[in-house]
Amino acid sequence: MEKPKLIIDGKRIDGRSMDELRPLKIQAGVLNKADGSAYVEWGGNKVLAAVYGPRECIPRHDASPYRAIIHCRYLMAPFSTLDEHGRSGPNRRSTEVSKVIKEVFENVVMTEKFPKTAIDIFIEVLQADGGTRCAGITAAAVALADAGIPMKDLPCAVAVGKIENEIAADFGKLEDNYGDGDMPIAIAPRNNELLLLQMDGMFTKDELRKALELAFNVFPKISALQVEALRAHYAVKKDELSRGD
Amino acid sequence: MDILDEIKKDYVLDLMKKEKRPDDRGFFDYRPCTVEKGIFESAEGSARVKLGKTQVVAGVKIDVGTPFKDRPDEGVLSTTAELLPLASPTFEPGPPNAAAIELARIVDRGIRSSNAIDLNSLLIEKDKVLMVFVDIYVLDHDGNLIDASALAAMAALLNAKLPKYEDGRIIRTERNDNLKVSQKVVTCTFSKIGSRIVLDPGLDEEKAMSARLTLATTPEYVCAMQKGGSGAFTKDELMNLIDVSFEKGNELRKFLD
Amino acid sequence: MTRIVVPGELVASSPQRIEFAFIENGKTYSSVLGLFDEANPRVIPLEGAYMPAQYDIIVGIINEVKFAGYNIDINAPYKGFLSAKDSRYEYKLGDVISAKIVEVDEVKSVNLEGARALRDGEIIEISPAKIPRVIGKKNSMLDMIREATKSEIFVGKNGRIWIRGGNSALAARTILKVEKEAHTTGLTERISAFLKDEVSR
Repeated sequence: MEKPKLIIDGKRIDGRSMDELRPLKIQAGVLNKADGSAYVEWGGNKVLAAVYGPRECIPRHDASPYRAIIHCRYLMAPFSTLDEHGRSGPNRRSTEVSKVIKEVFENVVMTEKFPKTAIDIFIEVLQADGGTRCAGITAAAVALADAGIPMKDLPCAVAVGKIENEIAADFGKLEDNYGDGDMPIAIAPRNNELLLLQMDGMFTKDELRKALELAFNVFPKISALQVEALRAHYAVKKDELSRGD
Repeated sequence: MDILDEIKKDYVLDLMKKEKRPDDRGFFDYRPCTVEKGIFESAEGSARVKLGKTQVVAGVKIDVGTPFKDRPDEGVLSTTAELLPLASPTFEPGPPNAAAIELARIVDRGIRSSNAIDLNSLLIEKDKVLMVFVDIYVLDHDGNLIDASALAAMAALLNAKLPKYEDGRIIRTERNDNLKVSQKVVTCTFSKIGSRIVLDPGLDEEKAMSARLTLATTPEYVCAMQKGGSGAFTKDELMNLIDVSFEKGNELRKFLD
Repeated sequence: MTRIVVPGELVASSPQRIEFAFIENGKTYSSVLGLFDEANPRVIPLEGAYMPAQYDIIVGIINEVKFAGYNIDINAPYKGFLSAKDSRYEYKLGDVISAKIVEVDEVKSVNLEGARALRDGEIIEISPAKIPRVIGKKNSMLDMIREATKSEIFVGKNGRIWIRGGNSALAARTILKVEKEAHTTGLTERISAFLKDEVSR
């Protein structure tokens, strides 16, 4: 496929400006059986996160006498991309993504309150459109809160990148494939600490600085939507009441 | 972590509070490093790196194959890493685990992002491309497998020669040209221990660290980054480490000559 | 005034020892998704697994029969243990009991005593965080449901509730309704009206 022009008249291929997020919708408590869950639609991404735990740690030899072990499974469904049918199950990429996402939550979850148990996080990408791990982290944070699991903070994430020497926030799939650099970042919003940081591409130090600045400008918007999703989950019930259920 | 590890971890943390490292190194000093190229004749390219007591070898094999459907004009670069059980009492036999997969992908990322290997130059004819396989074998684990592996991989690629390809067959016993490598990419891996950050952690320091940050650089660009571990870094810490990476990266790069 | 707070949200700009909140740099933050009561500073979790605590009365299920006693499923990430010496009665796999937690040690082993069989009836499980609301102040909510349904109802702190006899279906429905609306105001009146309505049908 020939490389499409990613910037036209100062606007990106989908009409956005450099610091603009794609449409982002978050819902909390969407599954019945899971202890906590969340569903995120972000651009064309459709990502479901579910949490079970704290519960018995399996495999047993993983368990720690001091804290809960966090397991994270990030997976892309075989039908999630425009490409041909993918293979089911984990691959090397999803294994790496699962690991780096797990490390985000190992930072904020108060695992020492639940020794010998496991907290299992499942992130299923049902439809992928660039920035799936960021959508996954954003969803999983809401799912963990929905499960009542104590945390120091509610992490959120976004991918910023480089397109033809310009820095842009919230990289979509085309930008991811044909851009010049992609950097997913997750933070703990309270103190702005970096919990996930990956990058591929070619950035100068100055470009990296601009990219971080841009990310920190958009994080509050994402964070606000997470909080709203959790509040709305309980406010909805208030509405049902007035109907004399 | 067993009891001995806990003791070592406390020891390192205590030392760090006094601004010291177990082997008395400066915070941004590499351990003694050696790079030997061409140590295996059977591989198209190879290298062995010793970084302190950490030892890693890398082998490059070049095959002919079909390109990926969505990139028909490009050759294939594939990087894997094995944490061999003989390298550490903590490595178990079996398929690559998350740590091994992450290690391979970090090394691959630096090489791929910088276009050190021009994949388009590996095209032989329609539906036929050269496939470059880089295999990293960790032989002895004393910390900072990432930098040692990245160095070994890069050295092996720089050392690699293309096998002769004639009439649709590879003739492995004849090697002509060097594999075209346009960049020397190196990685610098930092560990956060307590509130301080050090370069090139030894194994004991890795046991005490809360997080690590790897930056892959060419002389002018940062071409890959990977944060690992459950700790965190601040923006300011990151910006400072970029500077250190360029400086220290240049030092490491000299070993590739 | 109560408001919904999320993990990491500021609840006080001074250090306050509140359950389900933590102190950092002299400020207090909620650690869970919950209701924060400004007037009476506390965080009431809206969800969460049951964490066994000493003296809690729970509803358990016999999970495994061993020589010296029984492993009990207490609807928590940790198992309970009941010594065979607790009573002469011999429980079977799947029996339902009420019991008191006599001790939770540092490795979260839970020891039970004072077991009583809860025969027949049905068990429902609700979010343990909502149990206090089902009980109500001085048992007000629970008594109201008992009165209206004439059912025997035993409420375990661990989110399990045993119901027997009377209009047990209505009792179950009412409890689930309380669970769903636990965090709202005016609940007592609404439940009272609901029960009156249902009973008169």
